Amino acid sequence: MVDGVIITVIKSLVLASVLMGFFAYMTWVERKLIGRFQARYGPNRVGPYGLMQPIADLGKMLQKENMIPEMAHRKLYIAAPFIAMTCAIGAFGLLPFGNVATIPGTDWTIHLYIADTSVSLLVVAAIGSLGFYGLMIGGWASSSKYALLGGMRAIAQLVSYEVAFTLAVIGVIIQASSLSFVTIANAQEHLWYIIPQFLGFLVFFVAAVAESNRPPFDLTEADGEVVAGYHTEYGGMRYAMFAAAEFINAITLSALGAVLFLGGPSGPFLPGPIWMMLKIGAFLFVLIWIRATLPRVRFDQLMKIGWKVLLPVATLNLLLTAVAVVYL
Amino acid sequence: MDIVVFFVASGCAIASAIAVVAQKNPFVSALALLANLASLAALMLLLEAQFVAAAQIIVYAGAVMVMFLFVIAYVGPRGEIGGGVRKPWLVALSVFAALLIAVEVIVVVFGASLGAVASVDTDYGSPAAIGKALVTDYLLAFEVVSVILFMAAVAGVVFGTGGRPVRLSTEQVLAKEGESAVARRREASRAALDAARDSTTGESAR
Repeated sequence: MVDGVIITVIKSLVLASVLMGFFAYMTWVERKLIGRFQARYGPNRVGPYGLMQPIADLGKMLQKENMIPEMAHRKLYIAAPFIAMTCAIGAFGLLPFGNVATIPGTDWTIHLYIADTSVSLLVVAAIGSLGFYGLMIGGWASSSKYALLGGMRAIAQLVSYEVAFTLAVIGVIIQASSLSFVTIANAQEHLWYIIPQFLGFLVFFVAAVAESNRPPFDLTEADGEVVAGYHTEYGGMRYAMFAAAEFINAITLSALGAVLFLGGPSGPFLPGPIWMMLKIGAFLFVLIWIRATLPRVRFDQLMKIGWKVLLPVATLNLLLTAVAVVYL
Repeated sequence: MDIVVFFVASGCAIASAIAVVAQKNPFVSALALLANLASLAALMLLLEAQFVAAAQIIVYAGAVMVMFLFVIAYVGPRGEIGGGVRKPWLVALSVFAALLIAVEVIVVVFGASLGAVASVDTDYGSPAAIGKALVTDYLLAFEVVSVILFMAAVAGVVFGTGGRPVRLSTEQVLAKEGESAVARRREASRAALDAARDSTTGESAR
């Protein structure tokens, strides 16, 4: 906490609300873009350009019945979406959207991040790994074959890609010699890390797509194989929370990519938060583009990519970075 | 603030530790163990050990407990474990063991004249300080541990893949086990071949 308790609470509320709004409209952007990629219009009936579509979706979700399967473990079944959602939003507390800003018309200054610790990156990794439990508990507590298989797939996939992901990020950590996002972002003032860490960036990006369970790595909810994966038995707002958690995870990983490789909130002319949004948007655009382009991989291909391609490349990048930092 | 966090985290740690052994459902027990580890991480944060706290969550919550739950969810019983295995001498033994530990803790707490929390620098538990300690003062231990972990990983792969199947020639089998064993082996390998063919056609059809 850099600004006192009350300001921090206000900042957290603002960030969470902005994030939810951003998520809602990113679903619209995604559907619109996928439509365009497939030579159709996408949502265009609710409001101008279909802009009211997310609100209509929310209204639909809210009206649905909150059913619980007969054989489900009730408490865990209800808790799972909350765990997924909390972990997805929680990671944002550590990401910087700028350094210090002055509120217009006053001389109050606030920091454009909620917390900055010496272990920020580790904390985000820890919150991310707790997020797995939402999927796993949801899959197990539903007491359904498909949900269990989907949950187990999710865990196997996330644990496999976590390794390559972390190794890719360590390259950046060595170069910036810090685990604090604010320090890492400020260290890229002259040169974004995407250039010296290009290999690491590639591994990071592929692993991030897999970590966010997005196509072509969406085996956890491959509809031809496990119906809808861990959230097969969920409906209404509970399903919406899982979907939101998944999309917010993609946003978090995009923000992580923006901070670690694209200089975070720095950029000319525009204020920090706008640059952050633009860079996150660029990442999300590529994610949607990939979804529209590539077919889903098979599970053995998934494991092969994770362990036999990404892990060696990330290790090589790590060694090269270590040598370069010490001897150059 | 610190006091409040300390008591909340300690309460959670004790409650979840009890839940680990009191819960009948192994999946819920494992989740309680997870809550216990998280409470301990909070206590570590109070002791300026930021790195250890984060590592605790990443390693234990992120990797070890995931594997526990993975195994329980796949092979564990779906429902509750029955209470039929409770033997009186087992109960007596566990109560005795618990009492021994309690006595030990009491002796240590009252004998060591523990005062206030020692004051340390703010970078005492920082990643930089721990990293420096690992590659200077504790280099040998660090390297030994990494070699052991590497061996464990290799062993895991070897055991996990079941080792390489040994192929014996007909003469070797004859010398070892006699005529009937050869026929049995031929039958088995033909069955295995059929099964493999079935599964591959199934694969391509999918």
